[in-house]
Amino acid sequence: MSGGYNEIHPEPTTFWSKYIISFDHKVIAKQFLWYGIFFLGLGGMMALLIRWTLAYPGVPVPVLGSLLFSESGGVVPPDTYSMLFTMHGTIMIFYAITPILIGAFGNYCIPLQIGARDMAFPMLNMLSFWFAFLSGVVLIISLCLPLGAAAGGWTSYPTLSTLIGSPGAGQTLWCVAIFLFGVSSTMGAVNYVTTVITLRAPGMGYFDMPLTIWGLWLTAILNAIFVPVLGAGVLLLILDRVMGTTFFLAGASATSGSGDPVLFQHVFWIFGHPEVYILILPAWGIVSDLLSFFSRKPAFGAKATALAMTAVSILSTLVYGHHMFTTQMSPLLTQSFMTLTMTISIPSAIFFANWLGTIWKGSIRFDSPMLFSLGVVFVFGLGGLTGLHLGTVTTDLYLHDTYFVVGHFHYTMAASVLLGGFAGIYFWFPKMFGKMMNETMAKIHFWGTMIPLNGIFFGMLMVGYGGMHRRIYNPFVYESLQRLIPINSMITTSAILMGAFQIVFVINFLWSLKSGAKAVNNPWNVGTLEWTIPSPPVHHNYDEIPVVKCGPHELGNPNLKNGRDFQYQTEELVEA
Amino acid sequence: MGFLNLNVTASWWDLAKPPVDISTNGHLIDSLWNYTTMLCIFYFVLVCIGLFGFSFFYSQKRNKKPYYTYGNKKKHLLVTAVIGAAVFLTIDLNIARIANNDLLNQFWKWPDPKTEKVLRVEVMAQQWLWSFRYAGPDDLFGTADDVVTNNDLRVPTGTKILFHLTSKDVIHSFFVPNVRLKVDTIPGRVTRVWWEVKTPGVYDIACAEMCGTHHYLMKAKLTVYSEEDFKRWMTSSEKIALNTNDPSDANLAWGWKWEK
Amino acid sequence: MNRGQLQNSLAMTVTLIMGSMLFATLFLGYAVYRSSAVMWPPLGIQKVSLFLPLLSTLIILVSSWFMNQSKVKVESGDVGKALTANNMTLAFGMLFMIIQGYFWYHLKSTGIFLTTSGIFGSILYGFTWIHAFHVVFGLLALIYLRFALKQNGPQVLQVTVNVEKFWHFLGVVWLIMFITIFVL
Repeated sequence: MSGGYNEIHPEPTTFWSKYIISFDHKVIAKQFLWYGIFFLGLGGMMALLIRWTLAYPGVPVPVLGSLLFSESGGVVPPDTYSMLFTMHGTIMIFYAITPILIGAFGNYCIPLQIGARDMAFPMLNMLSFWFAFLSGVVLIISLCLPLGAAAGGWTSYPTLSTLIGSPGAGQTLWCVAIFLFGVSSTMGAVNYVTTVITLRAPGMGYFDMPLTIWGLWLTAILNAIFVPVLGAGVLLLILDRVMGTTFFLAGASATSGSGDPVLFQHVFWIFGHPEVYILILPAWGIVSDLLSFFSRKPAFGAKATALAMTAVSILSTLVYGHHMFTTQMSPLLTQSFMTLTMTISIPSAIFFANWLGTIWKGSIRFDSPMLFSLGVVFVFGLGGLTGLHLGTVTTDLYLHDTYFVVGHFHYTMAASVLLGGFAGIYFWFPKMFGKMMNETMAKIHFWGTMIPLNGIFFGMLMVGYGGMHRRIYNPFVYESLQRLIPINSMITTSAILMGAFQIVFVINFLWSLKSGAKAVNNPWNVGTLEWTIPSPPVHHNYDEIPVVKCGPHELGNPNLKNGRDFQYQTEELVEA
Repeated sequence: MGFLNLNVTASWWDLAKPPVDISTNGHLIDSLWNYTTMLCIFYFVLVCIGLFGFSFFYSQKRNKKPYYTYGNKKKHLLVTAVIGAAVFLTIDLNIARIANNDLLNQFWKWPDPKTEKVLRVEVMAQQWLWSFRYAGPDDLFGTADDVVTNNDLRVPTGTKILFHLTSKDVIHSFFVPNVRLKVDTIPGRVTRVWWEVKTPGVYDIACAEMCGTHHYLMKAKLTVYSEEDFKRWMTSSEKIALNTNDPSDANLAWGWKWEK
Repeated sequence: MNRGQLQNSLAMTVTLIMGSMLFATLFLGYAVYRSSAVMWPPLGIQKVSLFLPLLSTLIILVSSWFMNQSKVKVESGDVGKALTANNMTLAFGMLFMIIQGYFWYHLKSTGIFLTTSGIFGSILYGFTWIHAFHVVFGLLALIYLRFALKQNGPQVLQVTVNVEKFWHFLGVVWLIMFITIFVL
């Protein structure tokens, strides 16, 4: 393993080594960003097809329908519908959120914000992206198979995901793709953990790191511990599918039975619940930082926020059983998981107290990154609180696998992470590309996202409480659900609106990339290390490794004499 | 199309109400849901007051000088700690306690066929069919006189009904929205659920766990009879079963010995 | 320890944690299967003869000892002897793989098949496959170490220590596997 001693690597010269097989963390971050945005668009289109089917079953999909589903006259067929929601979940979680939040921001921010010249293992970093790329290719191939892609839900519970329920090669390729993605994630995790521990600039203690880094670091640790668990799970599933073992087969259909389908659920959720936090922790970190930056005052209780994040990470490993209340685990397990789940609300409440404490008595600038961060507080509030209904066993027995769950996890995982991701993109875009994004378009994008988003996911909570269960092609075969048609079409209308407003973002992104105003070194007037260097940074980031003398949130100090209302982390702390 | 429906907004809250509760203990779930929701609304309103209030009063326009604090003074920490503790004590401990009581006193209090009147039903789920099996006159399962129905469950009011469920192929989930309960049916193991209903009528049974392409069509009819009607139906069904059940029919032979 | 060494050692530690979690998941599965089984081995299946697995265990223990010798010799500066010990480790590692291959062949002749012997066969084959798959990586690491020893650069001790950790990890996993799925 070469490098990693913070020396200056020679700058690559050819197109190939500069943009494709790049070892530079900034380029890899951009690769992950493009990759993630591509899949975000793909997953979003799938979401629209799903929504269309749910609101107008049997009605041909406008425009796309005749292209994609010509055999059924433009109507999404039921088997395709299953593939759509399976792939929507898989793509959004593994191929959109993970690359953007962890791949792009992780790669971009970690070295820059801790004052390093690159990751500890640049080559591993490059491999991590190309494994993710390979995994994406496998997934796309699986979409084009004659029997179709995986269709067992993103959780792919056996025995539906074994040969009994899904005979096609799609499910096998899904497993392979997830395994490859796991390899990529764990490579990234090794890199992030090592980089944060060893390459912090001199003088930077753990609590001098921006909270973004805290979030990403904890994410990397959770990734390193729990992605291999999923790896083992899909490995056994692959063996079941390809070699004919019976790890997850049981009952009449398994001729040589005595495997255990529920084991996969345990394994999946031992990974799956931490995964939820893997996705949200970077967003929490980004939001905690941005709220402070744009309120022009230090993050309220930054240490407590960091410790609460750590507490949540630890707790997240102990509560996975609340996904499985309806499988009838032993009563003791059920009760323990319910109680442990409840304790998560303590650190969560501390976040909210600290977030609100941060904007309290601030001098708030409503720039687009701030708007998106405030949006995260709002939607995560709704998402977190609805989790209470699902962590409680008895109400979960009614709500499990209904749209209430769908609404809940979209609020926490999709809405918060999406808004947090946008906040990050608007915030770091100037540093990444050296151009400013258009603020008016950004604000239109914010409101155009925020309002329909709540229409979608609050509507989902409502129909879920009304008794509509998940993953059904046509809910209205149930007469009792026909009363929910108006809410469902409202959700779909909102989804189409929200989708349409994302075009504003894409236009803004591409237009700014080409002809945005030139960004200065520090357009937001904040003091973390990445803003001390030019936008975009030079290949080796820092000509001289900075020496850190104060925390990341030194804003609004009344005794500052330097004509600014903030100080850089490289400056001696001015006593208040 | 969607826009046209917006003019019925007023009744949306009614639309989204869960289906009518026909069981004897479903109200426990409903009331806990309401209780949790009330608390959630209370705390969410607090968050919104903070979020919108602070955004309004402490905007750059209204508040030029931010208050320079790390939020680590004693009183700050105290407020944070109180908020954390308040949430835990008022919501979490409460709802966990209520749920636990409901489980122990109701949902996990399995009726004992030896000491009380219990209707036992075996349920077999498969892609995409619900099959129900009543013990018949000999009170034993897996015998030739069992009454077997497909996608058609009929039960009486005023009797506890104890289901033992399994699945033939993939995992399904036995969901009766009007009773508020669901339980997974898992190949290779037997899960169970019990409930008692009080309102005669016809209701839906749904499969709530993704089980393949026609998951959405895997629905069964639940008919709730008065006790007399049920007895009448059962007697005639038993007669039919005795006359027509073919012991060599593999589709009928899925019953298993009832074990506690 | 300088920063580079710390980084490598941290990376290896994280890698070992990941490996441990993967195998811990398998053993969790094993515990679930064992505790829910009515009888073990299942009806109609003979317990596997301990001879071959025991042989594998001895071989992997010996290879681990040689691996340790490599490190000791590198520490004392005797790279030549370290290279010999590395060759022995490699040889015993390959012998382990050969015996594994023979073991799978032998299992078939005793009537335990992958697809028809239920969960028992699945575990025997599946788990040993996954372990053997990791041993292949271990062997590759040993070959990499061989080159490093030949070059005898400044990083040689660091590389030896890391490869040693990984090789011992494989040995420990095998030992646990031997005790759980063969002896018990």
